[in-house]
Amino acid sequence: MYKKAGIVTKIFLVAVLIFLLFPILWMFLTSFKNSSAIYKMPPEWFPKNPTIENYIKIINDKLFMTYYINNFIVAGITTICTVIVSILGGYSFSRYKFKGSDTILLAFLSTQMMPVVGIIIALYTTYKTMNILDTRFGLVLALMSASAPFCMFLMKGFFDDIPRALEEAAFIDGCGRFNALIKVILPLSSSGIVAISLYTFLLSWDDYLYCLTLISSDKIRTLSTGISLRYLGELSYDWGRVMTVSVMSSIPLLIMFIFLQKYMVQGLTAGAVKE
Amino acid sequence: METLKSTPKIKKTPYNNNNKKTFSAGKMDRLFGIALILPAILVVGFTTFYPVLKSIVMSFYDYKLSANKNYSLNNFENYKEIFKSGEFLSATYITVIYMVLVVIILFVIGILLANALDKKIPGRPVIRSLMLLPWVIPTVITALLWLWLFQPQYGLLNYIFIKMHIISDPISWVSSPKFALMSVSVASIWRQLPFVTIMVLAGIQGIPQSLYEAATIDGANSVQAFFSITLPMLKGVIKSTMLITIITNFKQFPLFWIMTGGGPMDTTTNLAILTYKNSFVNLNFGKGAAVATLWLLILVIFSTVYNKAFKTNSD
Repeated sequence: MYKKAGIVTKIFLVAVLIFLLFPILWMFLTSFKNSSAIYKMPPEWFPKNPTIENYIKIINDKLFMTYYINNFIVAGITTICTVIVSILGGYSFSRYKFKGSDTILLAFLSTQMMPVVGIIIALYTTYKTMNILDTRFGLVLALMSASAPFCMFLMKGFFDDIPRALEEAAFIDGCGRFNALIKVILPLSSSGIVAISLYTFLLSWDDYLYCLTLISSDKIRTLSTGISLRYLGELSYDWGRVMTVSVMSSIPLLIMFIFLQKYMVQGLTAGAVKE
Repeated sequence: METLKSTPKIKKTPYNNNNKKTFSAGKMDRLFGIALILPAILVVGFTTFYPVLKSIVMSFYDYKLSANKNYSLNNFENYKEIFKSGEFLSATYITVIYMVLVVIILFVIGILLANALDKKIPGRPVIRSLMLLPWVIPTVITALLWLWLFQPQYGLLNYIFIKMHIISDPISWVSSPKFALMSVSVASIWRQLPFVTIMVLAGIQGIPQSLYEAATIDGANSVQAFFSITLPMLKGVIKSTMLITIITNFKQFPLFWIMTGGGPMDTTTNLAILTYKNSFVNLNFGKGAAVATLWLLILVIFSTVYNKAFKTNSD
């Protein structure tokens, strides 16, 4: 209801916005300070002598760049694979229901509830006997099942909104089932596909636990785990460096968010509000 | 699979049951339906369903990573140990306290914030987008941002609190038994508030305007309208969003592990940390699996009760 906001509401809004945004602003500000400015008390609110030396150091840090690139590779591959699997699955749940398909959907959704650490214990032993521990393949596979169930559910919702008459017409024209999906339905569900891609990318980029437990070599380690192992080991942190690393690993998501916000919000809310 | 041979069969289906939502008549359709979800079943089955079952089995075995194969049943020893040391109960207590605290604060602030964002305010679209930013900050980075703000000597929080005379001496937030859990909760609320708010806001925007108009005519003020229209109409959205939030917080690992590592003195050792420590620090997979199994049991019971409770309420 588009009523005017009172003064109390406005104060509340300002307070919450400061709470939500200040930490991000502070991260950026800290990353542009040299070490003497960072440890000044009272704090230097705005860097008097802004410097990019932290960034130069990080970019020249080979290991960090390896983690960074790995994160793009792993999140990228996971996203592509998850999207394919979820389109197929979601389409089946929407159009080709068979006996037991509702139960299967429910089983998929119930995986969201399961304790990840518990899963990883058993997964670790299985991966070990199959020799896929410490491989990108194993990591991607695990990450896929973290996001695929919800993506399938979302895609089902998007497909449900597309009229069935379109496929019926395609069938009459002699189009096969698979071609009907690829040629008729997919072009119409692009916003859904964008939404699940973003969701999966966000979730895979954020992964910490799977990489921490399943990956042991620096060559394929991803960002979150890499940061925690490399920059947080010692008793005192180099906060300038830590904040620069933080900026670097948030930037891709922030950029994505600025341009594709609409789809991210749409996908997210469509899933829960529709129910 | 989709050859022209099968087309006549499908052609019939749509015409015969015009109201039916699916094309599920022919055998080929069924096979096609199954084939489509097969990849998902294989992937999720291999990396989620099978491991869950396997970890339940493992919980009854003496399964230490250091020992070489030949794992044997150990007469519920894992479970006995967990309960004897009291670590399971303490971790469950911490998990529940943290979860309840975070969820309540999230929804109180989230609903108020969504309500405020639905009103006429200057620059509303910009504020709405900005408000969502914490949601895309990676969890590990969230932990780092707050660690820096909570830092005892150079952290901003102590400085501001001392300036405002809220505290007299710097507090070492994450390493004090009194404040550690609270500190993690703040970081967690920060990260999840945008999600809760955007869901509630989507729900608010789905409420028909006419309800409010009718209420205004009946002389209801905005507070009354909020409690008798907005909240009841939001029930469905709150139900599903709250279940997601509860489960997320029940599982929270990275924030705890990075910010406190489960310390000081286990005051922030939740079920995720306890499972991880047992299995990947002490390398006792059997014991870790036992914690995870009990934890899964709690979640299953909880979500059944949760769904039942909400169902009977709305009928």
